[in-house]
Parts: sequence; C-alpha cells; structure tokens
Amino acid sequence: MVVRPYVEELKYLEKINDNCWRIKKGFQPNMNVDGVFYVNSRLERLMLEELKNSCRPGAVGGFLPGVKQIANVAALPGIVGRSIGLPDIHSGYGFAIGNMAAFDMDDPLSVVSPGGVGFDINCGVRLLRTNLFEKDVQPLKEQLAQSLFDHIPVGVGSKGIIPMNARDLEEALEMGMDWSLREGYVWAEDKEHCEEYGRMLNADPAKVSMRAKKRGLPQLGTLGAGNHYAEIQVVDEIYDKWSASKMGIEEKGQVVVMIHSGSRGFGHQVATDALVEMEKAMKRDKIETNDRQLACARINSTEGQDYLKAMAAAANFAWVNRSSMTFLTRQAFAKMFNTTPDDLDMHVIYDVSHNIAKVENHIVDGKERKLLVHRKGSTRAFPPHHPLIPVDYQLTGQPVLVGGTMGTCSYVLTGTERGMQETFGSTCHGAGRALSRAKSRRNLDYKEVLEKLDQMGIAIRVASPKLVMEEAPEAYKDVTDVVDTCHAAGISKKCIKMRPIAVIKG
Amino acid sequence: MLKQKLEALGHPTPCDVALSNRKEFASTVLWLEDQKIRFYTIDDREKLRNLDNMLVWEEGYKQYCIDLNMPPYETQLEQLTWMVGHAIRLEFLDDPAQYESINSQATGQIKNNGSLSQQKTQTLFNGKINVNDKEFIDGVRLLATKLKVPYHPNHLLQLEAVARIVHERVGPTASQKTAVTGTPFPFDKGNDVVSANDPALDYPMRILRLLQIQSLRQLQTKINETIVAVQNLTANPKTDTKLGKVGR
Repeated sequence: MVVRPYVEELKYLEKINDNCWRIKKGFQPNMNVDGVFYVNSRLERLMLEELKNSCRPGAVGGFLPGVKQIANVAALPGIVGRSIGLPDIHSGYGFAIGNMAAFDMDDPLSVVSPGGVGFDINCGVRLLRTNLFEKDVQPLKEQLAQSLFDHIPVGVGSKGIIPMNARDLEEALEMGMDWSLREGYVWAEDKEHCEEYGRMLNADPAKVSMRAKKRGLPQLGTLGAGNHYAEIQVVDEIYDKWSASKMGIEEKGQVVVMIHSGSRGFGHQVATDALVEMEKAMKRDKIETNDRQLACARINSTEGQDYLKAMAAAANFAWVNRSSMTFLTRQAFAKMFNTTPDDLDMHVIYDVSHNIAKVENHIVDGKERKLLVHRKGSTRAFPPHHPLIPVDYQLTGQPVLVGGTMGTCSYVLTGTERGMQETFGSTCHGAGRALSRAKSRRNLDYKEVLEKLDQMGIAIRVASPKLVMEEAPEAYKDVTDVVDTCHAAGISKKCIKMRPIAVIKG
Repeated sequence: MLKQKLEALGHPTPCDVALSNRKEFASTVLWLEDQKIRFYTIDDREKLRNLDNMLVWEEGYKQYCIDLNMPPYETQLEQLTWMVGHAIRLEFLDDPAQYESINSQATGQIKNNGSLSQQKTQTLFNGKINVNDKEFIDGVRLLATKLKVPYHPNHLLQLEAVARIVHERVGPTASQKTAVTGTPFPFDKGNDVVSANDPALDYPMRILRLLQIQSLRQLQTKINETIVAVQNLTANPKTDTKLGKVGR
C-alpha cells in the first residue's frame, strides 16, 4: 500500500457533485478504472475521517479504509466502468461492504473474487405484507414477538425446526426456492416476487465441501446471529403512492414483516474453502492484486467456475432459508390471529440479495456487454421495464429493501434508469457500520441499549443480549442519510419508510 | 410517405398532388386507375374521365370506391392513401420475383406472411372454409366494422383482432369474468419515462408497454396455476419443534 500524508491523498479525490466523489487513478497502484463513491455531507465526513486516521504514522492493523478498498478493487483485472462505493460503505474483507464492481465476461483475464461477494453469501432481505394495521398488532406485539421467537430459532449455534436429511439438503441446494415450493412451504406467488425467482440455475452441490454441508444442514430455517433479524414493522411514511400500491401498501400504519438473513454457516464455509483454492490459482496464473485479501481467480478457470457453482448453491440455501422463515412467520401470525395466512394477505412483496455475484447484461460505452457483477453490501436496483424484474413491478422499477439498524427505520426504494447507467443498477443495502463490532462492545452497554428500545415501545426477543450492543443504532451510520443520498443521487427512488414495533434477533 | 409511394409508382408529378384541390385529386385517381389499378375496362372508365364535369365524376367515383371494395374512409387523404397502397400491392403482385433482390429483409417478411396465411387456410375449420373466398372476406370485413376494428389490408389479421375482442368482451367466458377490483393504476403515474417532451411517442409507447405487461401477467398467472397444481401432489410441509434450538 502506498503511504502518503493525508493532504497528498486528498489530491486524488475529486468531489463531482453534492453526492458523489471520484477516486482518480494513481490513488492506489495499477488502477484500471476510476473509483467513485456516493456520500452526503455527513457520510462524507465519516469517510474522510477513516482515511485520515489510516494516514497517521503508526496506524496498523484492522481493515484498510473504505476509499482505499474501492481503489484496490479498481486495480483487479477485467474490471469495467468504475469501482463503485455506495453510501453505506464500510471496510470489509478485501472488498469494502457497500462496494460493487463489474467484470467483463468476454475478457479471458477477468476475475471473480469471493471477497467481492462476502462470507454471508446471498445475505438478503425479504418483506412480507399483511392486511393488519398497527391498532390490531400493538396490543399483541409482545405475544407476537414471543411467537416469532418460538418459531424461528435464532442465535449462534441455533437449529431449525424443519426436518431435513442430507438428501433433502442436496436437493434444496440445487433447486433453491423450487424446493420450498415442491415441499409446500411457500406460495407460487412468492417465487414470482423473488430476485432470480429464488433459484440460481448454475448451482452445483457437488462443488460444495462436505464440511459446508454438515454446517448447513441443521441451520436451515434459522435466522442466525450478527446483524440478522426479523422485525414486525409499521408503514410510517409513503413517498410514492402509486409504487407503494403496486406492492400492496395502501396506507400508513399497515403492518409488514421484514426478514434479514443469509446462508448461515453454509455460505461462510463455501467462501472460506474458495479463498484457499484461489490463493493457489493466483500463484499459478500470476494474478497480482494490491491486497492479499482480494484473492480471486479467472472467471473461466476451474477455481473460478467451481466457486461460482458453489456460490450459487449457497445462494439457493439462503433462499430456502428465508422461505422456511416465511413459512414459520405465516404460521406464527395465523395462530396469533386465529385465521389463515391467506386471509392475512401475507404475500412476499420482494426478496433482495445484497451479497452476491451475478451474470448480467449492461450497456458499457454504448455497447451491450455480458458482465459478472459483484454486489457486496449492495442491492440490485433495476429500472422499470427491465426484463429481469417481476411483471408486477414493470411500471414502478424493482423494489429495493433496505433494512435499518435495530430500533431505527427501514426503507423500500425502487430502481431507476439513472442507477442503471451510473451504478450497473445497484444501490445501498442498509445502514452500514460506523463503529467496528469490538469498538461497539467497548463503548456501549447492552442494558442501556435494551432499555432504550423498550422506551421506544419496541418489543424485543434476543438470544444473546450481551452481544446486542454490536448492533445498537449508535454503532451504525444513519440509514436515513444513506437512503437520502441514494435518492438525491438518483440511483434509486424513495418509496416507503417503515418503523419497527417488534424485533427478534440472534 | 404518400409522395414516396407515388414516386415509386412512377407518377409524373408526385410533389404537386395537392389534396386540397378536388380536381387534382380526381386526376390522380384517374391516373391510378388508368396506369396501375386497371380494375375497369377502358370503356367503363368513362365517368372517371369526366374531369371537366365534376358532378358526373363524383358519381363515377362513388361507384368506383364500392367496386374496389374500399373501406368507408372519410377524408380524401385516407382514400388516396388506400388507393395508392392498393396500386402498389397490385404492381408488386404482377411480378414479385422482380423485387426479391432489392431488399432481402422486406421480401423475407412477405414470405413469412405468405406461409402464415397458408397455415391459417389449413387450420380454419379443417380446411372447410377457404379464407380467400370473397364471401368469407366480406364477412370478416362486416364483423370488423360492427366491432369497430380498424381496417387492415390483410383480412386474416383483422380476423385475429376480431377474435380477440370476441374472446375478451363478448364471449361466454367474458361475461362470467369477475370485474377487476382495486384502485386502478393511473396510466401516466409509473416511474418510467419514455419521452417526456414528445407526447406523440410517449402515449403509444405506454399503451404498447401496458399490453405487453398484460400478456406477461397472464403468462405468469398460468405458471403460478401450474405450480399450485403440482403442489397439490407434492406438498407436505412439516415442522418438528423438538429439533429447534436457540443459540447462546
């Protein structure tokens, strides 16, 4: 890494407009393209402070600052367009979380990098609507939270209540949500409203290690720990009446359920296995990167292909996982209100993936090209009339589900044409950390965090309360800042805002 | 467009056809019949030749329109456009081979149209009805007028449009259809922008897109119905709370 004084570093950064900065080539060695990041004035301060701190003499350890990571990604072989940082960006393994990058599939030197997908493969958000209103749910929220907590096992080491054997798992890995459909856990309409229709067709369970399968088997239908959660939310604000109505959201006060989860230990193991393989491939193919964490392999190499097939299996695992939790949520609600999920109109509004790599066609320099798009902590946001979004959202653009932090608010955005042109149809994914996990544990007290939620009238069930401060709102950027930046930059459009009334967490 | 078509037919002064002038219009009609359409024998064209006595000409023209089977157009421009189109079609059919080399794409389309209508001949009531029968064509045209389907030179295409309207609006299944409930999505309220400053492009594009969305929705509904039908055979969701374990 190049070490320069902070003032020198700033010369490589150029503010294009109120919401967007350019990172010029030369900021890090061998950059093939420019970098770019989207921030408003408040997020900008966080971003530059992080860079400043890393420039202080003697600053070692930890991840590189987000800006540096964007620039290092811009130096990977085969990258096209720009290496893009979304407003919720924060440092991660190799790629920053909130960094998206696209690689030309027709360039034999192009790479795929597990660091660009993340360890929680196909971590994502699913939103279920109901026809209930706040007044129906408010008196029952404690019982509902408890009921959800009883149905959906949470926490590190939790085990699911859907019986599965090794053969079921193999089938689920290959079929994704189609498996859940076949077994009757979800509705046909759920598949329609899911990114990729809930199944990546190139999944190959044979490319997944035994170890990953062993870890994954008991975990299907569990929420997990960390920032994952299931929340009962209330519609707080509607910005785009017509798009909201297309999603079945008619009025303020309507109750929805948000599920944020991923592929659990399964995806983690797939990523870990791939990193080991790729380090060997890099040596063999003489691929040089600026950062050892950016392990990668050529897309067309055996390692690259194996990773993509295993990653697709992990993505399918995550969809089955979220589908199982959808089933359990519906059960919990139906029992509580003594009716059927059908009568509660508990349809899936949409299901997004914010840790994934996908093959997509985009227009680059006026020509259509096939790209491998890495989105890590970044959500796909396709514009109206894009062929890959469900027919119900052809007029509105793809719904983008942005989960806030525990106790704050969440948003639904829609994709825009401008986002398609500027960011390969990508936008933010959540609040994004401001403090590291360790730092939040040191600085915050879990009792205070829980008390504060209680004061806000939010029912909470949590498996490991002592870790709750890692996920406290204070540990994150303000999700409203993040979403407003995306809206102002035009890369997605605000549609609905929700606030939580009950949370279950790991 | 009209000018180009007249040019293609070899009209001596295609630029000077002033549609505001009835006499000019009359002479163009006569030129078309004399040189290109030749529907009447030379003697029968007598009335149309009376360019100096417009009353006689109008009488002859009225009959001519009926004889040519021209749809009931109202304006001069529409009538002339149709006649010029008709003339071009006749000209082309005289010797299609001659034009084959000129534009491969265009001739390809014509070939496609040809095979399409042939197919239809075979499938229509097991070939019991000859779709090129005059009586059949008249029937289609009449139906189309009654259902207000716009005119199209290919009566089979028009028949398809008629069939669609009958299927959606008049047939027995249509009357059983439950009315669509819910708030309608306003036509111009989508997040999609076609061309904000060109309503002439924006409006038809929106209509076409809505039609496309409608047919996609029908397809998706059929897919969902199929999935549900299969689910009836395979689905057996189970849970076992004994397996559950909450983490630390």
